[in-house]
Amino acid sequence: MNYEIKNVWSILLRLFHWSLVLSIVTLVVTGFYINSPWTNTTLEGTGAFPMATMRYFHFLAGYLFAAAVLVRLYLYLFGNRQERIWDILPVTPRNIKSLTTTVGYYSYLSDKHDKRLGHNVLAGLTYVLTIAAAVFQLIGGFYMLYPESLFWQGWGGAVFGSQQQGRFIHHLLMWYFILFAFVHIYLVIWNDIRSPEGLTSSIITGKKFKQKNG
Amino acid sequence: MEEQAGNIDLNPDISRRGFLKSCTIAAAALGLSEAMIPRLVAAAESAQRPTVIWLHFQECTGCTESLLRGSHPDIARLILDIISLDYHETVMAPSGHQAEKSLHDSMEKNAGKFILVVEGAIPTADNGIYCKIAGRTAMDILAEAAPKAAAVIAIGSCASFGGIQAAAPNPTGAKGVQDLVSGVPIVNIPGCPPNPVTFLGTVLHYLTFKRLPNCDNLGRPLFAYGRRIHDHCERRAHFDEGRFAEQFGDFGHKNGYCLYKVGCKGPETFSNCPAARFNDVDVWPVSVGHGCVGCTEPGFWDTMTPFYERLPQVSIPGTGIITDADSAGKKILGVAAAAAGIHAAVGIGKSMIKGKDKDKA
Repeated sequence: MNYEIKNVWSILLRLFHWSLVLSIVTLVVTGFYINSPWTNTTLEGTGAFPMATMRYFHFLAGYLFAAAVLVRLYLYLFGNRQERIWDILPVTPRNIKSLTTTVGYYSYLSDKHDKRLGHNVLAGLTYVLTIAAAVFQLIGGFYMLYPESLFWQGWGGAVFGSQQQGRFIHHLLMWYFILFAFVHIYLVIWNDIRSPEGLTSSIITGKKFKQKNG
Repeated sequence: MEEQAGNIDLNPDISRRGFLKSCTIAAAALGLSEAMIPRLVAAAESAQRPTVIWLHFQECTGCTESLLRGSHPDIARLILDIISLDYHETVMAPSGHQAEKSLHDSMEKNAGKFILVVEGAIPTADNGIYCKIAGRTAMDILAEAAPKAAAVIAIGSCASFGGIQAAAPNPTGAKGVQDLVSGVPIVNIPGCPPNPVTFLGTVLHYLTFKRLPNCDNLGRPLFAYGRRIHDHCERRAHFDEGRFAEQFGDFGHKNGYCLYKVGCKGPETFSNCPAARFNDVDVWPVSVGHGCVGCTEPGFWDTMTPFYERLPQVSIPGTGIITDADSAGKKILGVAAAAAGIHAAVGIGKSMIKGKDKDKA
């Protein structure tokens, strides 16, 4: 069987992906600490600032997360063919077909699957949902980081209500990202085993292996 | 008001020094420069004392109690020298028809000029029958008084946002003033109770500048509600250094550590409590070992509870389970892991039955 190498993901998209991974892992770990600090510095005058340090890394990772989300939003409009949003919006017959085929394939109802180069539409829509959740998470985060800024009070107040409601939704959305990461990794491995095309390595190399026609 | 002036319980003999001190404290609370103090003093001692009509609706009188315990100025100077308090059910001498008459006389005489202070929420369900004074509903009384006022001060969380009466399921349909009145400037002074200094500062600001102070988007004066409690808390160093009271009465609590882990809502609450403090003895909840409950925020009975936990609880739909966010998250993640395990097992089982078809991708 003949395979050829296809360029799928641009360097910018791969940078986005790994920035998001790094920031989400940091944000979740430090976020759990900030919500419920598991250490207690009962010795005074030790010069340790665990909460301040955790908050510092949380904010640093938050800015990385923000940058990654902005890059992805840019790529939805100006990326390559696989990265643009038109490739996965279920508005064309091709994309609607991809959605139904993928649902059938994932639930073992059929062995047919969408052999397109980029995301299948089910995955693509999940990513759009995730980026939307990320935007909400960012508004909530900046609302809490700059509580006295009238700009963020306006946005945060309009979207979430009080600081406490913003904090609550911020915490619940964190669980969405944990859940997403788990399902994402499971399905990547599952897809790579069921129909090997170098899916896992594509997010490092940017390349997939596709069967040559004929 | 003549009856009131003769009330021996109220001592109007206050020194000039005490009066100036009151004005200075109000100027400090307002964030004004000391150059403004003479103007505040002039406004406060001018002959044209503003008429204040104080209405009580669904409330506990706690805001009035708080004001009675204010000492800069004390209540006597406030109602005799600074404002002309024409109607206030708790401190006025008249009662019955006499009281009603003084309310209506004052409203007619000072139409368009008086300050209306509202304490307590207004029930709106069933045409407002859940709060009636002199046979009239709170809704009627407010609808009559508010359009005639020059400005409305909603004192306390109930008058501002509905307070505990408006907590879910809000059986009486309780609402704050700003939900029912329009066309009149309204300032909210939430708190349960608010600091008397904040009320006095707002009144003096109005006397001095002839307008209400600048407010945030919830209608709260920025001089008192522009800063977050957590950022001005005396226990903040313990927070940053990770020293926490794990529960009330433990080592950390006795040593004055941060109350974050026992549910303090200081990080979510805007108020001048850490700076202005209460009752002349420099106390506020956190200074005496109890976390902030977020009483200046809208709907705090619904959103800030449980008061001794960081976050509200979640109910998992369809299960009847009410739990905290983290154990809910862990449960959902567990279900997802189980689903993934079953999914993988089905795939393996299917390929074992059918045999691997190498050509099928």
